[in-house]
Amino acid sequence: MTSTDVLDVRAKAQREKRRRRIASIIYIAIGITLFFVAWILLSLEVSPWHYDIPPPFGAVGPFQDILNGVWGLFQEEGAIAHFWHNLGYSQDMKIKFVHACPDLHPSNVNNPFRQVVSSLMGWKYTSETAALTGGPLPVPIGQLPDYCYGYATHLVVTIIRILLGAAFGTIAGLAIGLSSLVFPKVAQVFTPVASFFGTAPIFIAAPFFVIWFGVEVPIMTTIGLVTFYTTLLMYFFSRRAAENIPVGIVESALTLGGTPRSIFRWVYLPGTVPEIAGGFRIALAGAWGLGVLVEVLGIQVGGGHLIDIWRFLIGQLQAPSALVALITFYGVLAVVVDALLLVIIRYLTRWSEAGRRLGL
Amino acid sequence: MSRVVSFEGLWCVFEHRSGQLVNALHDVNFEVQPGEFVCVVGRSGHGKTTLLRVLAGLQPPTAGQTRLGEQVVEGPGADRAMVFQQDTVFPWLHVRENVEFGLRALKVDDEERKRTTAHWLEAVGLTDFADSWPRELSGGMRKRVALASAMAVGSDVILMDEPFGSLDYFTRRNLHDVLLDLWEETQKTIFFVTHDIEEALILADRVILLAEGKLVDDIRVDLPRPRDEDVRASTGAVDITKTILAHLGITEEEATQV
Repeated sequence: MTSTDVLDVRAKAQREKRRRRIASIIYIAIGITLFFVAWILLSLEVSPWHYDIPPPFGAVGPFQDILNGVWGLFQEEGAIAHFWHNLGYSQDMKIKFVHACPDLHPSNVNNPFRQVVSSLMGWKYTSETAALTGGPLPVPIGQLPDYCYGYATHLVVTIIRILLGAAFGTIAGLAIGLSSLVFPKVAQVFTPVASFFGTAPIFIAAPFFVIWFGVEVPIMTTIGLVTFYTTLLMYFFSRRAAENIPVGIVESALTLGGTPRSIFRWVYLPGTVPEIAGGFRIALAGAWGLGVLVEVLGIQVGGGHLIDIWRFLIGQLQAPSALVALITFYGVLAVVVDALLLVIIRYLTRWSEAGRRLGL
Repeated sequence: MSRVVSFEGLWCVFEHRSGQLVNALHDVNFEVQPGEFVCVVGRSGHGKTTLLRVLAGLQPPTAGQTRLGEQVVEGPGADRAMVFQQDTVFPWLHVRENVEFGLRALKVDDEERKRTTAHWLEAVGLTDFADSWPRELSGGMRKRVALASAMAVGSDVILMDEPFGSLDYFTRRNLHDVLLDLWEETQKTIFFVTHDIEEALILADRVILLAEGKLVDDIRVDLPRPRDEDVRASTGAVDITKTILAHLGITEEEATQV
């Protein structure tokens, strides 16, 4: 093979790489186009959902700014402009928040069914329920500190809750999963429990967590549920990862004088990283949805609560922009966190073939 | 300190899925003196690996016992390091850390660990690859890492289960030379399982022949070393080969066809 041939091969590989990159951009464009086509079809007059779904582009649609040019997003009530103006304290948001959460009519209070529902629905119901049952009173919305009337506080609180829950759950899941390899009793006790809860989708468990822990203690509800969910997933992933380590490698470690402790530290811990890291990505992706869902169900502070408020105010002109802003925020956040995670995973799995393919 | 290895009335019986009992080892008795190079030869499925696993402490015998000096083998330990047929180098550790693994487990102090690791890496010719990942090495180099790891823990006995079976002829021959050099330097007892008669003739002081789990012959290989092509073509070598083939139930004609 001459140097010209080598250059040809290299050029061909570069062309192939460029072709793949262009293809992926085209696929994304096709996906976005199909999404909007489906939206437009659903909003047509002939569609049964015509009254519920506004067209994406038009006078009442959330993307009307785009018709005025991309800069429309940043002007007046465009999604990004709206998000930016209301990031910190905003009098406009305060008015809307108070409007979205008026006092409850007393007729709902004495109905036991309503009381159960109230704990699912939010502070306005639970405040009166708690008053009757002698439980702790949540802070009425009118008395919340000013920094709560903007997006930033809510979103930061949600991020912290979800990351904390995922971190606690990962530590617990790994500790239980990996220790169950050394102590089979742990597996005998925990596997049936995990299998029992694992069979029901975690979204079904979410309302129960809200009932058990209430909305007065969001730390327990949101962080607790995310921790519970992550623990289950990480338990299964760590077990499976450890079981996938070839028996020959463990036996080799034993004949080299490996003790349970050294085998755990130098064989199981590093050897399970690729599968555990993959599992963590899946768990974290689910945790975002789960955390926000619990907040939508009734927690007073958090990104999910913002969605709930704007859902209540859906008739207002700002609502589409606000909802688009929130969806965009969560999308960007998930992509950024995943990208950071990928950097860490690349480093931890640089020894493996998968790590090499990731670029190390 | 090297010790005599004794197999005393060793039986290993497995139950097949069909419920049938299979004698993997059938009343095996023999002794190996310190510093001997023993090749265990036999057909596939006739108990070679089981014998090695029992000595490694990875497989408990159904009856009988294995002793290392006065000590009865009851589990795996660093005094009987094993090199496996499959790739068992830890892929998540650098080459240097792989060799260090056993020393860490044995809580050898840092300075001694580094010195020992460097010595064995040099002995197998991998000093320049100490900071490489195993995935960056060839199959033969990974076997050298496994060999260095086993040697580094200071075992009395090295167990090798068809370690070079998956390698090409040239790499295998090269590793034979590396192994023989290390054996001559350390005078460790080596148990080497193989189904390759030529390999046994190149390496062994003694050939233990297993057929259907029974020890059918114990052949002393008194050929001069190094055992190059001429030595292996000598009358003595050919006689040993014929004996082994006869015990394995293979005629010379069949062996030629193979």
